[in-house]
Amino acid sequence: MFDSTFMRLALVASVATGASLGILGVYLVMRRVVFLGLVLANVATLGAAVAEAIGWSPEAVSLAAAVAAAAILGEVGASNRVSAESLMGWAYAAASSATVLILSRVAGGGSHTMDLLYGNVLAVPASHVVGLTVLAAAVVTAQIIFMPRFVLVTFDPESAQIAGVKTRRWSLVLNLSIGVAASAAVHEIGALSTFALLSLPPTAALLLMGGIRSAFAMSAAIGVTVPAVALMLSFQFDLPSGPACVALLALVGTAAFIARAGRS
Amino acid sequence: MAIIPKPITPNIGERPGAPGSPSDGEWAFVGSDLAIGYGRPALFENLSFEIRRGEILGIVGPNGSGKTTLLRTILGLLKPVAGRVARWPGLNISYVPQRDRIDAIVPVTALEVVTMGMTARADAFDRIRAADRRAASQAMELLGIEALGGRLFRNLSAGQKQRVLLAKALAASPDVLVLDEPTSGMDIASEAAILDFLRALNTEQHVTVAIVTHMLPIVLNLATTIMLVSPRGIVHGAAGEVLQEERLTAVYGVPVHLGQVAGQMTLVVGDKDGGDV
Repeated sequence: MFDSTFMRLALVASVATGASLGILGVYLVMRRVVFLGLVLANVATLGAAVAEAIGWSPEAVSLAAAVAAAAILGEVGASNRVSAESLMGWAYAAASSATVLILSRVAGGGSHTMDLLYGNVLAVPASHVVGLTVLAAAVVTAQIIFMPRFVLVTFDPESAQIAGVKTRRWSLVLNLSIGVAASAAVHEIGALSTFALLSLPPTAALLLMGGIRSAFAMSAAIGVTVPAVALMLSFQFDLPSGPACVALLALVGTAAFIARAGRS
Repeated sequence: MAIIPKPITPNIGERPGAPGSPSDGEWAFVGSDLAIGYGRPALFENLSFEIRRGEILGIVGPNGSGKTTLLRTILGLLKPVAGRVARWPGLNISYVPQRDRIDAIVPVTALEVVTMGMTARADAFDRIRAADRRAASQAMELLGIEALGGRLFRNLSAGQKQRVLLAKALAASPDVLVLDEPTSGMDIASEAAILDFLRALNTEQHVTVAIVTHMLPIVLNLATTIMLVSPRGIVHGAAGEVLQEERLTAVYGVPVHLGQVAGQMTLVVGDKDGGDV
């Protein structure tokens, strides 16, 4: 199965994105802004669509769009009239519909729409795999160094701010990291899988594990293992790899809920 | 069966003062021509005050009067509508929030929560060292919660959570300790122990204490100065001068009577002849 280069590249790309998104997604779940992940994935997709239409680099425009959205939406708080999640819903609907509309006007846009939404990890170029691996290494390194700070501003931002911690700056760093990781992932695994990896492994991990460090480790482990298994299954049974990964993640999430319910 | 908490005596070791931290009697916060609130019209205007080092300040008033808004403005969590609040440079402030402002979704243990008090003071690249964990354990011992170290914060009782948050604040060796409703959810024995602890922290360690509470009896025998917050305005002064029966009756809208029981100030609400309020 992994004799061929494209399968080995697809495997490394899946593992690298799974590690990055699995770790970063824990913060999204703990901060109760899971849909920020969905929005960032779709804004990155919109960026790629716009780039396609105007002839610019899809990776660059996608990254710029995701980073800008992460910076802006990360500042959105709940008002007395609407929740932050409803604003995320608006952003998601706007981004995903704009993507389809733009690509409908681009030659060959139909197949590209499918790739952006569902991914095509089997066609990932080696240069992108290198980038994804470097990004994963950076995320893991930042997590090792700055986890106490990130957890502090997540758990009790007000006390941290009073103590002199630049909580807004640290929140921005987190959001920008998620924007960069989502943008990089979307081109290879699609918006759906990107959102799934940002939300399902962390949810399962937080359900199953009793501590913060073990939750991060479990989320990363699920993020690394499930896409690899899905890749093998899709090869074996001729299934689309992106939806196979999402379906498997959903099964893992379901199992986590059942296991948690069984313990209570 | 009520569990009597073991006596707690503050002795958190050497507390190197922040460089240039004010000595007792000097100011810690100064408000100048402040207007506070969430936009125009402001909740209060033309506020000017000094909070002095070494005080135990009680910020009291009826529910919804603006106590927490005032506190959040002083601490810099809320931007003033007008004016400014100055804070002594380098002042080490620890804040104990209301319990319900903490999101229980984060799966941290009580010891990890207390250790966060030192994380906040440290450089971002610093690691949590064994000495930090020992200081955290010491803070937990002071509050009689050392046995809770390995338990998840979200699984603790209301009173236990409050003690953990207090230990977190103390672990940072503060110059100023600010507490928002610190005894909510505690039984009377636990409440008395906490109040004695805060008094000892102030007199023995010279920690300035500021407490926001809607429970007037808490500050009666604890606070040296009072900010009485009401829709009519804010009265700030020595506790004995501010906490007068006539003023409290006007602010709370019910007859308030002050007296002494067993050498302690106490408060009764209602008519003196025993009639219903």
